[in-house]
Amino acid sequence: MASQAKAVQLLARQFFGMSMVDGAVSAERVGGVLEYIEKTSPANEMAVLREYRRLIAIEVAKGVAVVEHAGAIGDTTLSSIASAMAKKYSRAVTATAKPNPALLAGLRVQIGDDVYESSVAGQLAALASSV
Amino acid sequence: MSSALEQIEQQIAKLSSRAVKKNTGNIRTVADGVAKIDGLSDVMYNEMVQFPGNAIGIALNLEENEVGCVVLGDISQLKEGDEVTTTGKLLSVPVGKALLGRVVDALGNPVDGKGPVNSTETYPVERIAPGIIVRKSVSQPMFTGIMAIDSMIPIGRGQRELIIGDRGTGKTTIAIDTIINQAKINKVGLASGDKNFRPVYSIYVGVGQRNSNIVRTVAALEEAGALEFTIIVAASAADNPANQYIAPYSGAAMGEWFMENGMDALIVYDDLSKHAVAYRQISLILKRPSGREAYPGDVFYLHSRLLERAARLDGKGSLTALPIIETLAGDVSAYIPTNVISITDGQIFLETDLFNQGIRPAVSVGLSVSRVGSSAQIKATKQVGGKLKGELAQFRELAAFAQFGSDLDAKTKAQLERGGRIVELFKQPAFSPSPIELQVSVLFAMQKGFFDPIEVKKVVEAAASLKSFFTTRKDALLAEIRTKGALDKDLEAKLQAACEEWKASFAA
Repeated sequence: MASQAKAVQLLARQFFGMSMVDGAVSAERVGGVLEYIEKTSPANEMAVLREYRRLIAIEVAKGVAVVEHAGAIGDTTLSSIASAMAKKYSRAVTATAKPNPALLAGLRVQIGDDVYESSVAGQLAALASSV
Repeated sequence: MSSALEQIEQQIAKLSSRAVKKNTGNIRTVADGVAKIDGLSDVMYNEMVQFPGNAIGIALNLEENEVGCVVLGDISQLKEGDEVTTTGKLLSVPVGKALLGRVVDALGNPVDGKGPVNSTETYPVERIAPGIIVRKSVSQPMFTGIMAIDSMIPIGRGQRELIIGDRGTGKTTIAIDTIINQAKINKVGLASGDKNFRPVYSIYVGVGQRNSNIVRTVAALEEAGALEFTIIVAASAADNPANQYIAPYSGAAMGEWFMENGMDALIVYDDLSKHAVAYRQISLILKRPSGREAYPGDVFYLHSRLLERAARLDGKGSLTALPIIETLAGDVSAYIPTNVISITDGQIFLETDLFNQGIRPAVSVGLSVSRVGSSAQIKATKQVGGKLKGELAQFRELAAFAQFGSDLDAKTKAQLERGGRIVELFKQPAFSPSPIELQVSVLFAMQKGFFDPIEVKKVVEAAASLKSFFTTRKDALLAEIRTKGALDKDLEAKLQAACEEWKASFAA
């Protein structure tokens, strides 16, 4: 069971490696990998595809800054956030807006595993945990 | 002037509204106190992570695809997909004198309903043990108040002495007796106003114990007036394995505070067998490779790094450890017992047979040893009890031999009778430790043959009578033994006279 899971992970990682061009995910390569999987039907195809999707999703998330906001947000703010993140992480970053009234006011930017928070809800939570 | 203030306030406002960076992940699975998390790419080994609902965790497995964390606290609210964040901190617990007299959980939170712990300092739970240079050899005694131990298997401040035996052989009782004795010594010492007196503070760590047992321990300590010098860290059988795994390290951190601040402390780990079982459970869920008895490969390091933290530091204080191990059917060659035996500086082995014969504490003199030896004894104890271990060993050998025949020479008979009396003399009820000066007096009486005319069956009664005689009528003599710490000719004469006086009163 454990070796089967390992084999799935190994294969998914190989496919993931093939999908990268210059340190970024290439949609064209991904298409090629999917075509290959469909044609050859490797063992545990579903598990391999799921793991492959997870790895690609993690990589894609590193290049997308999800900007959660409570009030209105302009395109200029989004683009300035995208350029600041691109500079910080030394890679191409796009920003997408996601309204979140639970923040009360301010912003919360998620890129990959990192979260940058400057919101009233975040400050209230920090205050609550320190009391 | 006001513009300058405004500038500073603006700067402060900028800082307080600056974005906070957090590294996050999401729970993939939660089971038996262990969570597997996607993400947390910046997490460090042993770093504290924050779960929703105030539960915290420690990152133990850093893998390519996921992070394995033990969860401390209530895991019932956690679910798949919940966000977890790194904290950049190591797990710490409150330390200091404010914890004395309190019962706390593995994280130092009070569980005794006596309100919050007013502690201002915290220590990390996991710490590297003191190195070679800062250590000092063990030479100061730590009296347990149990005659069989103090006279034959002496324990010193900074030593690690294992208490090992089957279930129900009185392991915890020995540990509790020792804690009670420290409290008694502390009270006498502090009342005397002696500036050189160093009190010993105790920490009792209950791992995987029944809650009723912990309550009983607290009650025994409270009744003996020892709770005010004791911290109780409780990770009962009802707590999740992560709390049971971390509790001994939390207790060690609390003890280290006393040691680092020039005080002496005693820590009891009750017991490390259940601690190893909790760690095995965590390791198996974390999918770490299992070895002998399904324990993970680092189970030795689990206990060695804990027990190495007990030490006597040069120019500072000491931390003495009394780990407890429960054996199955007296098997000391099992995995965990042999590990802990090799780590500690000796062991007190308790035998079920002796316990059932009514010899309590059921200390097996042959298998028990203290590697520190007589350097942790006061001179008076060495003078009266130096040969006891040899005499008892000889008695056991002769007693086994004597079973085959009834014709024994007078010398052998005398040796057997003497051995029988020593065994009786070492019987001691639970939770009533004897002060060292009283032990010296009783052993002196035994060495001078005052118990020889008394029937073996009546030795316990005679010893109790002698103890009560000394405590009620020879208080000054006991105080002199306590302060001098050795028997000179004058003291010996006084003791001889006192014993004669007792003999006359006992015979009457």
